[in-house]
Amino acid sequence: MSKPSIKKGIDFIKAQIDAPVASFFSSCVHCGLCAEACLFYTESGDPKYTPINKVEPMRRIWEQEYTMLGKLKSALGLTKPVDEETFKKWETMVYDGCSLCGRCSVVCPVGNDISGMVRKIREGFAAAGYAPPDLIGATQRAVEIGSPMGVKLPAVKAQLRHLEEDTGLKVTLDEKGAEYMVLLSSMEIMNFPEYLEAIARIMKQAGKTWTIASTAFEATNSGIQIGVSDLAKVIVSRIVDAAEELGVKTVISPECGHAYTAVRWEGPNLIGRPYKFEVKHILEVLDEFTKAGLIRTEGMEESRLTYHDPCQIARKGGIVEEPRRLLNQIASNFVEMSDAGAMNWCCSGGGGVSANERAEEIKLTAFNRKKSQLDALKVDTLVTACANCRLTLEEGLEHNGMDIPVVGLTEMVAEHLVEEESVS
Amino acid sequence: MNTISSDMEFRQALEALSLEQQRYVGARFVTNVLSLSEDARLQQVVEAATSEGDLESAFKIAKRASLEAHTRCGTEGDWNDQAGYFVARGVEAIVEPQIRTAGKNPAWKAAMQCRMARTCLASESDEDTHDLETGAQYQLLNDYLEKVNNP
Repeated sequence: MSKPSIKKGIDFIKAQIDAPVASFFSSCVHCGLCAEACLFYTESGDPKYTPINKVEPMRRIWEQEYTMLGKLKSALGLTKPVDEETFKKWETMVYDGCSLCGRCSVVCPVGNDISGMVRKIREGFAAAGYAPPDLIGATQRAVEIGSPMGVKLPAVKAQLRHLEEDTGLKVTLDEKGAEYMVLLSSMEIMNFPEYLEAIARIMKQAGKTWTIASTAFEATNSGIQIGVSDLAKVIVSRIVDAAEELGVKTVISPECGHAYTAVRWEGPNLIGRPYKFEVKHILEVLDEFTKAGLIRTEGMEESRLTYHDPCQIARKGGIVEEPRRLLNQIASNFVEMSDAGAMNWCCSGGGGVSANERAEEIKLTAFNRKKSQLDALKVDTLVTACANCRLTLEEGLEHNGMDIPVVGLTEMVAEHLVEEESVS
Repeated sequence: MNTISSDMEFRQALEALSLEQQRYVGARFVTNVLSLSEDARLQQVVEAATSEGDLESAFKIAKRASLEAHTRCGTEGDWNDQAGYFVARGVEAIVEPQIRTAGKNPAWKAAMQCRMARTCLASESDEDTHDLETGAQYQLLNDYLEKVNNP
């Protein structure tokens, strides 16, 4: 990242104002529905967290620079210019008080993609030097080391040795011509290594060849979270280069919400061309394997359980039915939360919020929405498909004295695999 | 009695134990890696698991310890600290209430977490310390079974 400045921040915001953004600002009817859809507003009650207010600096720049009335108002000194004070004041609203969950965009009656605009305004804040230090550090590590948490290849190799010794399943790095290239998130490598074991067992039963790229094992993209497209492009390019070099047909995005958005949806736009391979979320792959009879499960979870839809996977990714089909195969007492599926409520830790230590208080306040949903259901187990959601949920539950185990869906499916040789 | 020398035998032997025995053996596995954590609360939990201690309170302490020890998303990880996280997860496994475990063997779960704790130490290099822990666990179980079968 080059040296930040306020001028650069304003220029970056200007550069993000395209026709859709201009039409969004023109068409906002100030109805307030976005506020009621945002857990940072509903749980804190603080109007500053109203989604459309989070992009107010961008609206001001649009009005002052690109509208006749705005230009006139500026000339007469009737509008507040966007300056250092503005960046200082809005930084926590833009980063700490928004998980980019996209619920505001879905409820907007005129179709404004407010969440998308928050993502865009972050470009300007990062360029102005008003971004959370934790996210800056994570992005630097992602670019320099390849992982926002500083995970290096020896750590992945150590886990693969662990996997092989415990299960007898061998995973080959950089295997050319493998059908699938599996990506991992640093969170899975560091905190939830059971995910890798689950993948190995599932792939073995499905009879599929797979590999991990030594140059691109990391799926997450903190360039997206902080809002620096140039860096996001560098990170996604590693995955594209590795997948094309290895000649894989499909890249599997792990149980990580924003990683899926980054590689599946933003990636081709960032590199400026379509991929030569497919990108699928692990839940899509599991669903395909199940439908094709490549994996078979046995036994049912009997505890009362529910599923938390990760925003980037369900609302933004459209993966809503797949986890339900999988759960209905292995759980006899699966119940839905209110607003399940595409209208789910965020765990409160997405979009870089959980990586941003100073956002802890507002994150736990926003978690009260999930707490209410869970209080109403009285479940014994909570299942999800995002490592970041998982830890945010665990922390929120612990903070509220709620004893509910949180389990990854891929691991749960692997636990129920019929123990036999490949059925393919 | 045959000496345990593979994970299959190891797991079968653990499955044959009662829940109390599984907790006890799990506590021995955890004790073997306890020095990798600086959290003094974990020792108390291990003691509760092997005595008539309050398992419910012990579980709450262990759960809090493992949550506090995890690496937050996006923060720079330290594999030595991360070893402590897996030790805490191992400790959590041996005092986890039965309603949460759904019949899963606490000793096996603890064993896996302890091996991960040891693996963490090798994560900055290509050094392989994993099988040392596996061997140590076989030995601990062999010793225990020997004692139980030949009191």
